[in-house]
Amino acid sequence: MPPRIQTQRVSNSVLPYLSSTSSTPASSCTSLPPSSTSCPHRTFSSTSAAQTRLRSHMFEWLNSEGRKLRYHEPNVYKYVTNLRDLAKDTVPPEQLSKRPFPLNQNFVSEPILSEEMREEIYKRVAQDKKSVRAVSIELKVDMRRVAAVVRLMEMEKGWRTQGKPLALPYSRAIQEMVPTTRYSPDPRNQRPHESINDLPVHRLTDPQIFYPVSESRQFTRVDAGRVFSGAPRLPNSTVDEITNDPSSSISRATQNPHLIERVGKGDQETQVLQPADARIPHPYLVAHERDSIKKPHERGENIKRFSSRLQEEERAEAERRQAAEERREKKTAKVNPEDSRFEFRFTDVVVSKETTGADGRGHRAPGRRYGVPSYERKKGEVKIPTRVNV
Amino acid sequence: MRNRATTPLSRAKIRQSWSKYNLYNLQRFRNPSTNNRTFFQQKWTAKSSARAYHGEQVPETQWERMFSRRIRSVVPMDATRLAQDDGSIASSGRGSGIMSPWEMERAKKEKLTPFTQMTFAPLERRLDTAIFRALFASSTRQARQFVVHGAVTVNGKEMRYPGYLLNPGDMFQVDPERVMFATGAPKSKAERREGRIARQKTETPEEGEESVAEEEKEGKEKQKPEAEAQPEDTRETLKGLMAQAKTIMSKEKSDLPAKKKQELRGFQKAIKRVLSRSESSTILNDNLESQFSELMTLLKATRLEKKDNKGKNTESQPAAESSDPVAETEAPDSRPGQALTEAFQKATENPAEEVDTSELTESELDTLKRALIQMRDNPIDSTKPYATPWRPRDYMSVFAFIPRYLEVNQNICAAVYLRHPVARPGFSEVPSPFSESINTGAFAWYLRRR
Amino acid sequence: MVVRIRLSRFGNKHQPFYNICVSQARSARDSKPLEVIGTYNPLPQRPTNLSTEQARNARPYKEVALDRSRAKYWLGVGAQPSDGVWKLLSLAGLAEKTKTKTEGSE
Repeated sequence: MPPRIQTQRVSNSVLPYLSSTSSTPASSCTSLPPSSTSCPHRTFSSTSAAQTRLRSHMFEWLNSEGRKLRYHEPNVYKYVTNLRDLAKDTVPPEQLSKRPFPLNQNFVSEPILSEEMREEIYKRVAQDKKSVRAVSIELKVDMRRVAAVVRLMEMEKGWRTQGKPLALPYSRAIQEMVPTTRYSPDPRNQRPHESINDLPVHRLTDPQIFYPVSESRQFTRVDAGRVFSGAPRLPNSTVDEITNDPSSSISRATQNPHLIERVGKGDQETQVLQPADARIPHPYLVAHERDSIKKPHERGENIKRFSSRLQEEERAEAERRQAAEERREKKTAKVNPEDSRFEFRFTDVVVSKETTGADGRGHRAPGRRYGVPSYERKKGEVKIPTRVNV
Repeated sequence: MRNRATTPLSRAKIRQSWSKYNLYNLQRFRNPSTNNRTFFQQKWTAKSSARAYHGEQVPETQWERMFSRRIRSVVPMDATRLAQDDGSIASSGRGSGIMSPWEMERAKKEKLTPFTQMTFAPLERRLDTAIFRALFASSTRQARQFVVHGAVTVNGKEMRYPGYLLNPGDMFQVDPERVMFATGAPKSKAERREGRIARQKTETPEEGEESVAEEEKEGKEKQKPEAEAQPEDTRETLKGLMAQAKTIMSKEKSDLPAKKKQELRGFQKAIKRVLSRSESSTILNDNLESQFSELMTLLKATRLEKKDNKGKNTESQPAAESSDPVAETEAPDSRPGQALTEAFQKATENPAEEVDTSELTESELDTLKRALIQMRDNPIDSTKPYATPWRPRDYMSVFAFIPRYLEVNQNICAAVYLRHPVARPGFSEVPSPFSESINTGAFAWYLRRR
Repeated sequence: MVVRIRLSRFGNKHQPFYNICVSQARSARDSKPLEVIGTYNPLPQRPTNLSTEQARNARPYKEVALDRSRAKYWLGVGAQPSDGVWKLLSLAGLAEKTKTKTEGSE
């Protein structure tokens, strides 16, 4: 094999100058530790011979087959699964397996966001003031990931302005070793980074329920959710309403979660399980698809309706957040005394028969409880914090 | 905590580590045979080999408390399919649904969700494991040490508990120096010696500083008259610089690191010498852009178009980058982008008619620039605990993958724990080197004790 | 017997936490009171969710939870706040700024 001199493959376009840190030619393999193929004879060694033999086997392997894995090459997945393909050197790097563990068929090394993609996400959210939802749909990146990228980029910019040292060569090396999702300026060519409409499997859907239904009746996802949560059947008028306009009934549920019907009593009270359309992160995508099935020729209209739905969802979310904030503000009074370094925050609580309960030990009443032992000093008590506030 | 995580060669045990012993064990590990073994024995072997990898630093009782039989999973929903069907098709007929033949085909192809591969998902919440998964440490034990030694913050606050269970949305950040140390190649003997000498110098700072200062003074005094006397000299220096830059960039992995270092150092000095001719001393420690442009003006090297190109390039526009020459033309290597770059060069060269005395081709400029960037980002510094210039440690790429539940920013060595790992049809997010048979055995083992 | 509004200490070593309680003056500090009307956390908390610039200038805060109507009632029937509680009540606007001598029990 001719010695590899540099990045033969196309190097990552965000980082043009990365070849400098990476990619090692095979020629430097000559400086390997002396292979112990011939078992070294140690006269005074107390090590058992078996261990030495095993070690020699290991170094033999590292110097023959394992040599391929020693140095990394950009965009070549040097996983153990690919050992044979790498040895043959005929398989193009795109066809190499992305499974790092040969025995585990279910784990693949999934792509990470490339540097340019992160920049783009940050630009759209922080500079163009787009909502996380909108950016998530545009770039096909999960909403939580979008928020995290913005947070991390914010921190990175802060570091850059402060002149803190960054781990740039390390970052370049990782970007070359791991598959990445590139940003393409043309939205049609943008490869989805991950599936954005993941439905978490709900605890209530675990049991298998035998529920007889007459053949003449339409049994939909809405009904299934009600059966799972043990709610009574919907009246016919409501069913008709939902079948006529499913999108609006879904958006009603997603925009006003407090209005969702509740079943059960006391501590058992729960919301009725909503259909999958309402529980996915981007429900308006389904509404858009429904529109385009119903009215395939009104493309422009459909897109307009879609964007208005998206805005409606964002507005409702912002309203909810603001209302919660206001409620919290209303409950607390902030006092800043002049002769103190501290601010005092007074929260209103209620002490009454309802909160304290008959025995005075109700959980909603303020204060620590009397007559409850403290296990602080008990052996084996875990004192690791469970939460760190931002 | 005593490290019991040995990597024995006699019996292959896989650990959460990047060591070459572990690599050897990983590639020769096979599923344990189930012939003539009772179910109990099978479960025992499965559990013991799985626990050697997953949470080996966690005591068994603690893990038993953490174990949960409820496994998180998600189903990716297709908006089009949800829109087509409100669920009544799936429940029509006698309750089993009416499917067209092609739908039956599709249903057959749909993969099962590998629930038992998620047996050890609760351990992925631990801070030390998450640091290892984010590729910030070369083993979980090392990650644990970083936490205990106070190099890790969670949401900006120092966290000294490796067993802290991350909550969705938590951001953890590791000291970049430690990360570079953990993931970088170790120092050679000569480099260690250099570091020792450097340390000794700092311990007796008076002599060292003075001498350095004197040297610098002398150097400046020497160079200034030279520069004034011979303004035509620029061409020569430029040539020299270029030659040095080329040697640096071409012989990247020269087998003699010491020689390479010498070259790098020479280059560094040369650039300093050139820059010191300009009176403004700020440039030396200013950003690279101004340094580069200053260098160019000093050497009267560039033409206008080229500078423009440079400006574009530094803003990292992918289009400009891709057409950028990746290496010098003289180097005896054939690149796929060679023809393209030549065309690009011609296009830029033809319209410009005035030719400077010391003209540089595009590729030469690029080489110079790359050498400069390399010098700034990845300098030689014998005081660092890792080999400089930094390069990844051996066999690192074998273990390099970042699971989906983490979002990592490598530049600042920080990551966000987005959510708990989940299983989805065909995939599980818990990185486990074991097959389903082993993980299922382990799951059954821990179920028994609930 | 005098009824007092005072603090009773809960929490752990180096982690004080107080209940604001109404109890007989002669009863033990942590004994069961007539009523608990609030809590007081004397450990200053750092405000969260702020930008770096804001966080630098932000004042740390102390949390007080108080049922105002119950506090007013007990003051009305002649319960006497201790010094510490007096300060908190005055911050909440339920008592005079300074404790006058005549109102003290002794």
